[in-house]
Amino acid sequence: MRRLAVLTVLVAGLALPASAGENLVAGLSQDSIEITSSYNGTSIVVFGALERPGDDARPDIVVVVRGPEDDMRVRRKSRVAGIWINSDRAILHAMPAYYFVASARPLGQIASTPTLRRYGLGLAAVQPRAVTATGDPEPFRKALIRHQLHAGLYTETASGVQFLSGTLFRVRVTLPAAAPRGKYVAEIYLLRDGAVVDARTSELSIDQTGLERRLFDFAQFDPLGYGVSTVLMAVLLGWLSSLAFRRME
Amino acid sequence: MEIYLPIAEMSVHWLVIVGLGGAIGFLSGLLGVGGGFLLTPLLIFAGIPSPIAVATTASHITASSMSGAIAQWRKRAIDLKMAAIMTLGGIAGSIMGVWLFGVLSRAGQMDLMVSISYVILLGTIGGLMLNESVRTLLAARRGAAAPARRSGQHLWIHGLPFKTRFRASGLYISVIPPLGVGVAVGVLSSILGVGGGFVIVPAMIYLLRMPTNVVMGTSLVQIIFVNALTTVLQAVDNHAVDAMLALLLIVGGVVGAQFGVRVASRLRGEQLRLLLALLVLAVAVRLLFGLVARPHDLYSVMVGGT
Repeated sequence: MRRLAVLTVLVAGLALPASAGENLVAGLSQDSIEITSSYNGTSIVVFGALERPGDDARPDIVVVVRGPEDDMRVRRKSRVAGIWINSDRAILHAMPAYYFVASARPLGQIASTPTLRRYGLGLAAVQPRAVTATGDPEPFRKALIRHQLHAGLYTETASGVQFLSGTLFRVRVTLPAAAPRGKYVAEIYLLRDGAVVDARTSELSIDQTGLERRLFDFAQFDPLGYGVSTVLMAVLLGWLSSLAFRRME
Repeated sequence: MEIYLPIAEMSVHWLVIVGLGGAIGFLSGLLGVGGGFLLTPLLIFAGIPSPIAVATTASHITASSMSGAIAQWRKRAIDLKMAAIMTLGGIAGSIMGVWLFGVLSRAGQMDLMVSISYVILLGTIGGLMLNESVRTLLAARRGAAAPARRSGQHLWIHGLPFKTRFRASGLYISVIPPLGVGVAVGVLSSILGVGGGFVIVPAMIYLLRMPTNVVMGTSLVQIIFVNALTTVLQAVDNHAVDAMLALLLIVGGVVGAQFGVRVASRLRGEQLRLLLALLVLAVAVRLLFGLVARPHDLYSVMVGGT
C-alpha cells in the first residue's frame, strides 16, 4: 500500500517532470553495514539536494528509514496475588524492527494526517499489517512504540533535517547495536504545501560478517554440532585451568 | 572495548562479562558451589535476554565443574557408582526441563517461572544455611563443640526397594533417592541455568547421608554431565547458547576460581557458609522485590518467535 504510493509518486514524477518543477537527488553515506566483533551500533548520513528549487518558501524534506519487518508480541502485566505476571497479550504483525523519521519542523505542520498516514510518515503512521488481540490493540501498539523509542530503535525528530544551503541537506541516522540484521529502506520525500511532489528510495543492509557470521550460521544450521563444540570448549578450558593451577602450586 | 554477541544480537563490554565470570568463579572456588544460581540473575540484570543467560550459564558451569572434578579425582574422592545413577536421573530431568523451558518460553511466563523458582529455592536454602552457620558460630563462641550428626538413624529412605551397595560412600541404600535427586537437579539446571550444586550437596549430606569427603567430587561429576547435556539440548531446541558469551564467562571464571580456592584455605568453614548464606539471601530478596514491586512499564515486548 505504502510502497505503491511511493511508486505512484515516482512514476508521476517521471511522467510530469515539467509540471512538478522541482526535483530531488539523494543518497546514503553507506549502503551496507557489517557487524564485526567490536560492533556497537553506527550511524549513516542521508544527503541530498533540490534541483531547480522554487524561488518561494523552502519545501519540506522528510526522511524515513525502515528496518526489516517482524511480528511483535506485546504482553501486559497485571497483579495476581501480589505478584506481577503477564496476563494479556497482542501480536502486532509485520511491524518494522527499526523506524526513523526526520524533518525540519513537526510533521503535523507539514502535511495532513491522511497524507502522513498514506506515506507512512511519523510514529502515528507506524501500524501493524494485522493484529491478533482479544481487546483494544491500541494500548499495545503505543507500548511497543514506547519500548522501541526507549531502545533507540524508533526515532521521530523534527530537527533531524539540516539544510547546509538553500538546496543541500543532510540527515544523520543513528543505528543502535540492537537494530537487527536485514534489509533497510531509506525514503526521502519532498513536500510542498502539504503534498508529496517527489520521492527517492535507497536500500541499506546490515549483516554480520567474519567470525560472528560463522558462529551465527553454525548455531542456526548445525545446532547439535554447535552445542557439542561449546561443551568441548568448556571441558577443554576447565581442564587447562586445572593443569595451570597444579603447575602453580 | 565492546564485543558483539552473535546469538544474543547485542553488544556488551568484554570487561563486564569477564569480570562477572571471574567474580562468580572466585565465589565458586571460595564456597565450593557452581555459582550458576548467582550468574544467571546477574547476567539478566546486565541486560542479557533471560533464555540466553540461562542456556549459556550451563556451559560456564561445565567448565568450572570440570576443573574442580579433576582436582577431586586426584584425591580419589568420587563415588562413581553414585555419580552414574544420579547422572541417569539427571539426563531424564534435563530432557524434561528443556521441554518445559520451551513450553514456558512460548507461553510468555518464562521470566516469571525463573524468578519465582529462584525466590523459593534461594530463600529456603539461604535461610537454612544462615540458621545453621549462625548456630555453629554461636556454639563455637560458647566454647561448646558443634553437635555431631547421629549416624545409623533410620529414615523412610531405608524402606525403599532396589537396594544396592555404594562402596566409596559406605552406603547400602535404594537407588530411588539418588535417581530422584538426579532428576530434580536435571530439571532445575535446564529451567534455571543452575548447576544444582547448592541443591545436590545438601541432599547428599542430609538425605542420602553420604560422607562429606566424597560429596563434592561426586556432585561435580554429575553436574558436568548434566550441564554438558543441557548446553547441547538448549543449543538444539532453543538456539539460546551464545558461544562468545560463554567464552568470555569461562575465561573469567577459571581464573577467578583459582584465587577463590586460595582465599578459602585461609577462612573457617562456618564463616564461609555464613558468607554464602548471606549472598544467597541477598539475591532472593532482590528477585522478590522485582516480583512484587510495580514494574516501570506494565508492557513488555518480544520480537518474532513462534
